[in-house]
Amino acid sequence: MVEQASAPAPLLSVRDLHVRFPTERGAVNAVNGVSFDLYEGKTLAIVGESGSGKSVTAKTLMNLLPRTAQVSGEVTYDGQDVRALAAAGTKHFFGVQMTMVFQDPMTSLNPVKRVGEQIAETLRYHLGRSRSEALEEAEELLEVVGMPEPARRVSQYPHELSGGLRQRVVIAMALACQPRLLIADEPTTAVDVTVQKHLLDLLDRLRRDRGMSMILITHDLGVAHGRADDVAVMYAGRVVETADARTLFFDMRHPYTEALLRSIPRIDDPVHHRLDPIPGRPPELIDPPEACAFAPRCIYAQGDCLGGVPELSGLVGLHRFACLHPTGTERGMAAMSANRAAGVTAAGLPVADSGGGG
Amino acid sequence: MARFVLRRVVLLFAVLFAVTFLGFAAMNLLGDPLVNVVGVLAELDCEGIEAGTVEDTTVDAASRDCDTVAAAKAQYHLDRPVPIRYVLWLSDMATGDFGTSFQNDQPVSEVIREKLPETLILLTMAQIVSLGVAVPWGVIAAYRANRAFDRGSTVASFGLLSVPNFALGVVLLYLLALRWQIFPSAYESGSFGGLVFSLVLPAVTLGLPLAASYQRLLRTDLITTLQEDFVHMARAKGLPPMRIMFRHALRPSMFSVVTVFGVSTGALIGGSLVVEQIFGIPGIGREIVTAVVRDDFPVVLAIVMLVAVTFVVLNFLVDLLYSWLDPRVRAR
Ligand SMILES: Nc1ncnc2c1ncn2[C@@H]1O[C@H](COP(=O)(O)OP(=O)(O)OP(=O)(O)O)[C@@H](O)[C@H]1O
Ligand code: SF4
Ligand SMILES: [Mg+2]
Repeated sequence: MVEQASAPAPLLSVRDLHVRFPTERGAVNAVNGVSFDLYEGKTLAIVGESGSGKSVTAKTLMNLLPRTAQVSGEVTYDGQDVRALAAAGTKHFFGVQMTMVFQDPMTSLNPVKRVGEQIAETLRYHLGRSRSEALEEAEELLEVVGMPEPARRVSQYPHELSGGLRQRVVIAMALACQPRLLIADEPTTAVDVTVQKHLLDLLDRLRRDRGMSMILITHDLGVAHGRADDVAVMYAGRVVETADARTLFFDMRHPYTEALLRSIPRIDDPVHHRLDPIPGRPPELIDPPEACAFAPRCIYAQGDCLGGVPELSGLVGLHRFACLHPTGTERGMAAMSANRAAGVTAAGLPVADSGGGG
Repeated sequence: MARFVLRRVVLLFAVLFAVTFLGFAAMNLLGDPLVNVVGVLAELDCEGIEAGTVEDTTVDAASRDCDTVAAAKAQYHLDRPVPIRYVLWLSDMATGDFGTSFQNDQPVSEVIREKLPETLILLTMAQIVSLGVAVPWGVIAAYRANRAFDRGSTVASFGLLSVPNFALGVVLLYLLALRWQIFPSAYESGSFGGLVFSLVLPAVTLGLPLAASYQRLLRTDLITTLQEDFVHMARAKGLPPMRIMFRHALRPSMFSVVTVFGVSTGALIGGSLVVEQIFGIPGIGREIVTAVVRDDFPVVLAIVMLVAVTFVVLNFLVDLLYSWLDPRVRAR
């Protein structure tokens, strides 16, 4: 087992998390041994393509998985076992200590309840506010999240608001009881591009003002840039690379991280790569082969990559990556040249002889 | 909202018009209306009998029968042209004049006023029983979907749905009224409380199978709703499960139940024919059976119209209920 790297106790600590969903076609291995730490006041970005297990990880932390899910591993919040707290039905933990914002504001509000009531409800249940106090506070919260005309909004229904405004409501709702940890699962994917930045900056500002910790889930490395202290890149249910944001962006080791970075359309791209979509599709999670899951899409792949799943190197809290031929190392360079010379990787992916390298 | 209600009211009247028109058409346009109304008596040559030119075979009876024929002609304005007949008939009904029973010369409106309360109370109690049973039942089944309780209730509800009303009624009557004597075996009208108490068994007889079907619908809809993001959100807010169930999930899951609630009234009225017989309740259900057997057309027609109108009005209320259940309906 890996040891902790630094002294102060993390607010949230995840160790060797596994989640499987038994289905008719076989068990889906959605999360395969995820470990990370999150410290008070910090933001961790979890980045990965669709299906990489980001939401399942988040839902595990919040105890929101369907009952059929098989979970193992440890999740500790402030020294307490979260899954035990959830199993015991501990009151005023979720919603007060940690809470979550979901991807789609169109569906994460109850369509038949007024916006104000939905915010007030939390205040009444957790903090024992009266109905009128809670509604007043709801209005104030709407103002805090930059909702225009908050007084009018409290008595509106979700369908009367645009997607961006709804997501503001959801954020207000999540922040109502001043949680110490907010999990934001792709909070801006479903809204207009112009609104995205507003919402992300709002979240960032609120997090700073309140000294909150945040897990920011996104498939877009660009979103993580400038907002996250640490980044964990997920692929096929595993963390394949994790580091502080600076290291990850400027000195990444995993070919997948590199590929992700190249695939984001950013003018102020720190690494100035040309835009390259990642070839191929994410792997099956049912009966995965005993190999590096990224191998079929990896331009560095060598024979040994197909012989087993690479371990995540190093200590939790340090720069860690799971790759046998890491980008920017001699082994990586050698692998790349060998594949270029052969015109194909060990996993059968054609590689052009020219093209951009590390 | 006002516009929504207004549109529904206009629709209500359109449907009521259509229902009465169909009733009228069935009587007046399919074959000879006199035959439709008085049956074989239409063949009597009453003018001949009166004039003495035709032999009166059953003197007493026939002259009374001729009175019936004359009454029917007057009541349904059979000597007037069809469109006028319809207007006159409608306005008669609108003023509460449903004609006179051929059987005992009692005004039909009086018959209905006498029998309707029992049936209304019975049907209301039956719906209360069915919803009162179905909601907690469906909620618990959905909360632990596919666990033992849920599986058991699937079996139980199919059992209840396949037992005919009369069988369930007889069993309940035998066990709870005759054997253990918890409930009265006969209808009591002494006091309102006594009336309600004596209607418990009939209401349960009618309501339980309905509860079974409501339960099925509610369970299915709840399971779907419980997978919605807003339920996850409510859980992420830290609200306890039952609060989420009743404050968030239940209302958006009531659509199928409410729809069937409106439609099932027809089935309930059908069921009340049987149940009123078994438990000896002098309600509309028993009355219509008697009226049909005795060929008492005015009573039959009035009750059929009444049932149709009730059905339409109830479904109108269901429409309004939808808009309460889901504010998005109002915007449409
Ligand atoms: N209840 C479930 N039953 C079976 N498989 C599931 C279930 N929930 C998730 N999965 C599977 O787990 C895998 C990871 O899903 P997850 O939702 O965590 O992906 P994600 O990284 O959040 O992707 P996205 O960017 O699309 O949200 C997917 O292959 C998904 O099909
Ligand atoms: S080089 Fe090998 S181990 Fe590293 S990502 Fe590519 S396939 Fe996986
Ligand atoms: Mg997701």
